[in-house]
Amino acid sequence: MSLKPHTVQKPYGVSSVKKERPGQNMGNEENKVFLKLKGIKKSFGGVHALRGVDLEIREGEIHCLAGENGCGKSTLIKAISGVHEPDEGEIWINGEKVEHMKPIDAINRGIQVIYQDFAVFPNLTVAENIALNGEVKDRKKFVNWKEIHQIAERGMAQVGAELDPDMPLEQLPVAGKQMVAICRAIVNDAKLLILDEPTTALTEKEVGKLWEVLRGLKKKGIAIMIVNHKLDEIYQIADSLTILRNGKYISSGKISEYNDARFMKDMTGRDLVETKYDPELSDEEVFRVDHLTLKGRFEDVSFSMNKGDILGLTGLLGSGRGEIGEALFGITPPESGDIYMNGKKIEIHSVADAIKNKIGYVPEDRLTQGLFMERSIEDNTIASSIRDYFHGMSLNEKEMREASERWLKDLSIAAPSIDPPVRTLSGGNAQKVVIAKWLNTHPRLFILNGPTVGVDVGAKAEIHEILRGLAKQGIGIIIISDDLPELLQNCNKIVIMNKGKVRLVTDNKIDKLSL
Amino acid sequence: MNSKKKHAWLTSNQMILVYIIAVFSLIVGIRQPAFWDFATVLNTMRAAIFTMCFALCEMIVIISGGIDVSFPAIGCVAMYVPMYIINRVAPIDNAWFAFGLAILIGLAFGLLNGFLVAILNLPPLIATLATSSIASGGVVTILGTREFTVLPSSLQAIYNTNLITYTSPKTGFQYVLNILVLVPIIVCLLIAWMLKYTMLGRGLYVIGGNKTAARVAGFNVKKLQFAAYVWSGVFVGVAAMIYNILMHSATTSALMGDEMITIAACVIGGVRITGGHGGVGGVVLSVILITLVQNNLNMLGIPTSWQRFVVGIVLLLGTIITSWQTKRSMKMSQA
Amino acid sequence: MKKKTASKKLNDHIKVLMLMMVFVLILMAVLKGPVYYSVNNFRSMIFQFPEYGVLSFGMMVCMIAGGIDLSLVGIMNLGGVVCALLIKSAGVPIPLACLASVAVGAGCGALNGLIIGSLDIPAMLVTLCGLEVYSGLALAITGGPAINGMSDSFKNIANGSFGSIPYVLFIFIGVLIVVAFIMKHTVFGHEVYFLGSNKQAARYSGINTLRTTILAHTMSGILGGISGIIITSHLNSAKSSNGSTYTLLSLLIVVLGGINPDGGGGTVAGVTFSIVLLQLIANAFTIMHAPDTLKTLVNGCLLVAALILDKVMQKREMQKNS
Repeated sequence: MSLKPHTVQKPYGVSSVKKERPGQNMGNEENKVFLKLKGIKKSFGGVHALRGVDLEIREGEIHCLAGENGCGKSTLIKAISGVHEPDEGEIWINGEKVEHMKPIDAINRGIQVIYQDFAVFPNLTVAENIALNGEVKDRKKFVNWKEIHQIAERGMAQVGAELDPDMPLEQLPVAGKQMVAICRAIVNDAKLLILDEPTTALTEKEVGKLWEVLRGLKKKGIAIMIVNHKLDEIYQIADSLTILRNGKYISSGKISEYNDARFMKDMTGRDLVETKYDPELSDEEVFRVDHLTLKGRFEDVSFSMNKGDILGLTGLLGSGRGEIGEALFGITPPESGDIYMNGKKIEIHSVADAIKNKIGYVPEDRLTQGLFMERSIEDNTIASSIRDYFHGMSLNEKEMREASERWLKDLSIAAPSIDPPVRTLSGGNAQKVVIAKWLNTHPRLFILNGPTVGVDVGAKAEIHEILRGLAKQGIGIIIISDDLPELLQNCNKIVIMNKGKVRLVTDNKIDKLSL
Repeated sequence: MNSKKKHAWLTSNQMILVYIIAVFSLIVGIRQPAFWDFATVLNTMRAAIFTMCFALCEMIVIISGGIDVSFPAIGCVAMYVPMYIINRVAPIDNAWFAFGLAILIGLAFGLLNGFLVAILNLPPLIATLATSSIASGGVVTILGTREFTVLPSSLQAIYNTNLITYTSPKTGFQYVLNILVLVPIIVCLLIAWMLKYTMLGRGLYVIGGNKTAARVAGFNVKKLQFAAYVWSGVFVGVAAMIYNILMHSATTSALMGDEMITIAACVIGGVRITGGHGGVGGVVLSVILITLVQNNLNMLGIPTSWQRFVVGIVLLLGTIITSWQTKRSMKMSQA
Repeated sequence: MKKKTASKKLNDHIKVLMLMMVFVLILMAVLKGPVYYSVNNFRSMIFQFPEYGVLSFGMMVCMIAGGIDLSLVGIMNLGGVVCALLIKSAGVPIPLACLASVAVGAGCGALNGLIIGSLDIPAMLVTLCGLEVYSGLALAITGGPAINGMSDSFKNIANGSFGSIPYVLFIFIGVLIVVAFIMKHTVFGHEVYFLGSNKQAARYSGINTLRTTILAHTMSGILGGISGIIITSHLNSAKSSNGSTYTLLSLLIVVLGGINPDGGGGTVAGVTFSIVLLQLIANAFTIMHAPDTLKTLVNGCLLVAALILDKVMQKREMQKNS
């Protein structure tokens, strides 16, 4: 097996002259098409995840795949990487039609996917993580550490990453792990690099570094596909764009052909203005924080909400948006600053305090933080309010069942009864269970961190409807999200965070979508 | 950068073990000057043989992300059956036969463990517990509980072969070190090499670190799991036969209960119970430390009946320190 | 009424256990009917199982909480030794001595839970070391030999009977009811299930995970202390190495009883059936004059069989769902 990653192979006789003109040919039509999809369809047990998707990615191009959560992006990646075979449609790689593609075929054709978990080995060193996959593919029996280091150094040099090759991976921050995954893809002769939401766990600075690396790879003629839905980032990096909605291909084109309005329309299928949340204004204050500070996370954060308000909290990762949520919920309590609930000062030092003060929190990571996957819907629904059912000597089973059944109906959770384990529910319904868990505590302030991540479009709208209803009842709603369109639609007040500080408090009338 | 690396090395798990060994030796040495004798080295080595062998089995399994609590039972069967055959069935006086059969028995139960864990996907703790009861229950039911204390002459000959004979100038006692001590030493070196320089060794770390990613990367996860459990079975067969030779005793329960101290020895030696971490160096140090403590509590004036308690406390503290170390190194990186 | 899937799965498990019980009962009726189905035989069975039955409930609680308690036998013996010593050497009244045993158990369990919860060390490691520490302490207290010859009234706890019903049956049933009540009808019981199925989600749902961990292990320790009293009374002797096979046995019982080894699943009913089933089998072996060790072999096989059965049923359920 050759280990010559310096030369990106061009097997179809494309003249290398074009390759020598890096930077000039952003999305250039002359560049050869590396991947072409035609009418890809895929359904799972009657659910149409993809209903005919076309896609074209050229060498030396950064292509962005955008769409709301649940639009079929991940299914599409899996189809491209050979994990799922499409029911219908054609896949052309490098001008050759490929059928019945298995993951290994995709890899051999140079398609490398970097998923959000990176599939790296935390216990091994950087060098090993970069080189080991290749060694396995070559069926090596022994380990030549010198060679491993050479491969790793070469990979890092190509990518432009500067990491200590002997550092155990678990000691690297997320961005470092991502770099390692990119290096690994490159030393494995990647011709198409697919990155699934690469920026969700990165800070602003790290995002900048990632773009730099990707631009470098682009110049080397590698095709890059990024799954992303943040418009400002797409503007920064992408040459061209494909938008999916609800499993359908909507539009595709060069980035210059898009503006905010078209992007929003294509993403959501609606004009933004019509659906904006516009509550009756009230002066009755529901919730307020003054000078809230937690060193290293956020500083001097102040905002207030009146009755009916839905407040959006946004900013890049590390800006403090999620940290404020965790602080208000007492996971990592704030160090100083004042919190007022309905005009009364409250103290939050622990989760118990937050719950006592009727604060509910839907965490960002639903699967590991929000749900008990193996327990029933009923158990999940009453998990935070179970104390309310302990009367005298024992728990009142009947009341618990009734409460769960009520929420099942009220939130229209699609399940036959309250008894199946949550594991059997779809993302949207599972998220509704998390919401039900908190609504059952009758919160006065409800904080939702990424409420519609991994939720299909229909359920997303339903969840938004639920939140609006709650706000009208006078419950303070805070939505923390990096999905700006979502915030613009649903919040009448938006707090934009930057580097731990409030940069801007605004209404939803802003039309510039960039942060 | 360099000073940071140096600092990391000085506070590494292995160096901490070295410090503790040094401090413990110093304390014992001050109370009992007789400790400062070459005989201590010989005694420690002799006493450490079995724990070392068992730890080499357990270590591999834990690195691969599993755990094996069946090796004492497998070991008992592996030494009891050959001795039973030699004594009661056919007097085959051949060391190759004894070791060979022990290895075969170990292999068989190793395969069973591998089957339960890798193929049936049972939780390793429970699966090996089951193997343990099948092994010890089965052999005792069929062959009864006897104790064989007389070795056939071929094994006796091994017993009589000493590597070192040393007469202490202070006490005049003679100390010997049996040739079999070479087995754990050589195997230690082999394992250290295997873990570092073969794809098999790296594969064990890989599956202990992230099984899903290992599968994606093209490692044969099931094969590697099998390898770990089979190794554990095979080598515990050898270790049990060594036990039989050195202790002149083969029973169906001699090794039972050793899994506790072995697992603790691995963990204190830096083998993370969650898999994917640790190596021979740390385990050797940890075995030395535990053996030193076990052997020299008398010298510190701790009554016999308190020794298990003290060893237990040492293990508990060792485990706590190791976990704390791990957490600290993780935290350091996040900063 | 709608069928519960969660409880249906569990019913499946209990059904299998009951089927196995029926099988053993029929088999014994055919093979050794008159001996097996005698009052005396059932009495002798009842004298046997409460000590490890109570222990198994301790193991169960820890396993549901997502951990394991390998130190139970150590706690049991330490409790037994303390109890015996107080009666024999200090002349403490029996109820008080028993209370002391329970308190010792609670203390040991709380220590386990504290270390596990606050330092976030796997329960297996902590309790493994705990076993050495508690057994070591029991050994240190006795100084080696067993403590024998307690008063008759103490001996009677595990050897006496009310009419033809042994006292220990009442103790066992009492423990069973209390444990079942706690696990099913109290907030703590539900929190243990939540903790075991997803520790992080438990924290994010406002459950105090440290407190729940400590309480779960304390409960396990208390049960260890109670079985310490029973075994000491039963054998009329306390030492550090009694019941050394019970760790394995209790693990076998809880897994066979349908407790999820990864935590968060299983019921008291399943474990109870499992205890009774194993006693029926053990007694069958005794009656058949089979060697005691055959029991170990069969237990091992049963454990594997139970786990495989679970896997098969799980897979079938998954297929049905999709």
